[in-house]
Amino acid sequence: MKTIENTVAVSVPLRTAYDQWTQFETFPRFMSGVKRVRQQTCSVSVWVVGAGPLRQEFTVEILEQAPDSHVVWRTLGRGDLPRGEVRFRALAEDSTEVGLLVELGGRNLAGALGAVPGVAERVLGRDLTRFKYFAEGLGEATAGWRGTIRGGHVQPGMPEEAKSPTPTWPMG
Amino acid sequence: MKKPPREEPKEDLTVTPPKTWAAGVPAVVHALEYSLEQTSPRETAVDLLTMNQVGGIDCPGCAWADPAPGHRHRNEYCENGAKHINDEATTRRITREFFREHPVSELARRSDLWLNQQGRLTEPMVKRPGSDHYEPISWRDALQLLAGELKALASPDEAAFYTSGRVSNEAAFVLQLFARAFGTNNLPDCSNMCHESSGFALHETLGTGKGTVSLEDLHHADLIFLVGQNPGTNHPRQLSALEEAKLNGARIVAVNTLPEAGLRRFKNPQKPRGIVGQGVQIADRFLHIRPGGDLALFQGLNRLLLEAEDARPGEVLAREFIESDTSGFEEFAEHARQVGWDDLLAATGLTRAEIEAVRDDVLRSERVIVCWAMGVTQHKHAVPTIREIVNFLLLRGNLGRAGAGACPVRGHSNVQGDRTVGIWEQMPDHFLDALRDEFGFEPPRPHGLDSVNTVKAMHEGRVKVFLGVAGNFVRAAPDSDFTEAAMRRCHLTAHVSTKLNRSHTVCGGTALILPTLGRTEKDLQAGGEQFVTVENSMSEVHTSHGKLKPASPLLLSEVAILSRLARHTLGTTPDLPWEEFEADYGAIRDRISRVVPGLHDFNRRVTRPGGIRLPNPVNEGVYPTATGKAMFTRNSWEMPQVPEGHLLLQTLRSHDQWNTIPYTLNDRYRGIHGSRQVVLVNPADLTALGLAEGDRVDLVSVWDGGVERRAEGFQVVPYPASRGSAAAYYPETQVLVPLDSVADISNQPTSKGILVRLEPTG
Repeated sequence: MKTIENTVAVSVPLRTAYDQWTQFETFPRFMSGVKRVRQQTCSVSVWVVGAGPLRQEFTVEILEQAPDSHVVWRTLGRGDLPRGEVRFRALAEDSTEVGLLVELGGRNLAGALGAVPGVAERVLGRDLTRFKYFAEGLGEATAGWRGTIRGGHVQPGMPEEAKSPTPTWPMG
Repeated sequence: MKKPPREEPKEDLTVTPPKTWAAGVPAVVHALEYSLEQTSPRETAVDLLTMNQVGGIDCPGCAWADPAPGHRHRNEYCENGAKHINDEATTRRITREFFREHPVSELARRSDLWLNQQGRLTEPMVKRPGSDHYEPISWRDALQLLAGELKALASPDEAAFYTSGRVSNEAAFVLQLFARAFGTNNLPDCSNMCHESSGFALHETLGTGKGTVSLEDLHHADLIFLVGQNPGTNHPRQLSALEEAKLNGARIVAVNTLPEAGLRRFKNPQKPRGIVGQGVQIADRFLHIRPGGDLALFQGLNRLLLEAEDARPGEVLAREFIESDTSGFEEFAEHARQVGWDDLLAATGLTRAEIEAVRDDVLRSERVIVCWAMGVTQHKHAVPTIREIVNFLLLRGNLGRAGAGACPVRGHSNVQGDRTVGIWEQMPDHFLDALRDEFGFEPPRPHGLDSVNTVKAMHEGRVKVFLGVAGNFVRAAPDSDFTEAAMRRCHLTAHVSTKLNRSHTVCGGTALILPTLGRTEKDLQAGGEQFVTVENSMSEVHTSHGKLKPASPLLLSEVAILSRLARHTLGTTPDLPWEEFEADYGAIRDRISRVVPGLHDFNRRVTRPGGIRLPNPVNEGVYPTATGKAMFTRNSWEMPQVPEGHLLLQTLRSHDQWNTIPYTLNDRYRGIHGSRQVVLVNPADLTALGLAEGDRVDLVSVWDGGVERRAEGFQVVPYPASRGSAAAYYPETQVLVPLDSVADISNQPTSKGILVRLEPTG
């Protein structure tokens, strides 16, 4: 597995940066290799990544997540598959450091990207910069999920989130 | 297209070795063969190519989830789905001449197969008191007749309104609204007889009545249990999900009393390896369990996991999860450690080594899913069994995270959705409050009758009017003779149906046949062409659009029938918008969105490709239980005493069958051809009973109460059933299931655990 790290300073408050990052379905707006994201549950999303005519789908599980702190994720499946984490740190009231660590490898599109010297670093660096401009351009995050995930288990963050809007009576 | 049979099909029984794999090319051939017997190539092509597609027809055959949009095959259906949809799309028609030719008493002697093969019902019919014939009646007169009987009842609770799982969300919502506006919660449904035990167990322990997994979870599980279910016949598209899981490296443990073909190997006819290759092995491990032994199996596994944790503290159990998200662990653990191995092994019929090998599978697996169906739910201790499965999942944190969870596999296509929108005799007050606030009337609060209690009430004369919306209640309910006597005691029985079945022939003094559109057919109303919505086993709510021309211009949709009945019965008290509902089902969905939690903005969201995925609170870390946490429970079992010379019978379906309707006399996966009057018994048990292959026997149910329940004229077939068990086809052997033989807590009939003896008839 190849490990790539990068950081960027984003001129928005910590909470804004974090909340914007947790809007996974918006990632195709600033990440060039991400074509589509479908959020299944709080902890599971399906990502379609691509380069040129090539496409590959990954189901991603968030293993650890804490508001305004970090998101640790992995791709579900066998063998070497992409995994990584993103960490958030307040630099000032209106400035946040976003640190991204990604491990690439295996026989998949992301692994192939990682195998070419310098390419994955350039792509991730560029996309992180795009996130910076995206978050700064918006200046605010319209929604954010403030729950916590530990060991893949979701722990709702706010009291009102504990009321799941779904029928709970017995289903025969 | 073949004409309907005039005589009962008669063939001799032939028995061949059971198949060791499911699907493949024969599945395609059989599906097309049956489809083209029933309807034209054009209609076959139209319905099959739109089946389970976005904007197409939702297959009414089962409730298995569809892959995400963009991931569906061009042919996204299975053999049994194709047979089922073309059984509905048949070009055969039942007219008034048919009923003139066939008196009701004659039809009551016909088989389920023969009745179904006559084709689609085309106009409303009535059988009046004292008459032996159905005769035509206009819709207005039919519905006024029914409304008049309802209004004449001394109490609304003298009526019962049964729903089968084919009914759409819209029709189900209208039905429950009508029943409650009329004044009763008597809303028995088919769920009472198939997964009621799952609902009660999951609701108590997790705070949700639904399964917690998605197709993606199955694809990414490390270990999948298939307990008491037969995916090859009853939900064949599950095999595609299991195939993908296997290709991703999952292991599968099948737990069953019968080594069903679909548990062994799957040849996916959509892939080259399924056509010319060996296909994919499904079960890596097969546990040939005794009927009802599942609770003991999971209790044994749980004990082994606790002991593994003792040996390697902190490495086996999900300690942090147990601490933060569960309650009752200590009491559960103390109880589990006391379970004796002699009892466990006697109850399961397995060896300790077999159970320990499964424990090792579990310990090697980070993500575990348990799937189950009626082999679990239709036992006396079904609710404790499912609670024990939840214990098993909780121990290693296999709930509420990716690739893990509980998967009750439901049969009817919208059985879950009907419950979601209010078809239940015990709906909670917060639902009834929402109904009151939305519609401005006070719904009745006392719980109504479930299916078993409806039969009892009809038998005792406490229920006088029975309306069945879809289904075949007389055959689906247990204790056939008793149920039939109960139906015959009603003043009036009415059925909203697409095809003829026994419930039309075993009827009350007055009987109505109210023919309706099928799922495949275009539904044109004053507000334009309508679609309906359904919810699959994985809580995805999506649309179904009919594509074919209706079988008759006189067919009304279920929504139209129920809305008109409500108008005739209730008038303007309360003043509800029945006409608006009939004209535009979007008006119903608007109301649903304000009454049912999770279906907000229903009309807009459901038309998105793939529809709405209802959230499961467990996957959000929320447990709406009595303790606010996932609950460990202590469960005990008492194995049924099986005296010498007796067997435990389970009723089951053949591969050529959908619910109560057999399509042919064959069951090719089990190697049974030409007859359904067979009983499958382990060869060693046959020897012990002094019976041999081909012997003719009656099956006699053993139960207190002084009533003999007998199913006559069966042939014995040696079969690799687990020792001490027997299997015979449903619904022919429903006659053997005593009405009082029900699961504790859920009141679900115990059709998988009936004590019988085989009486040779020479």
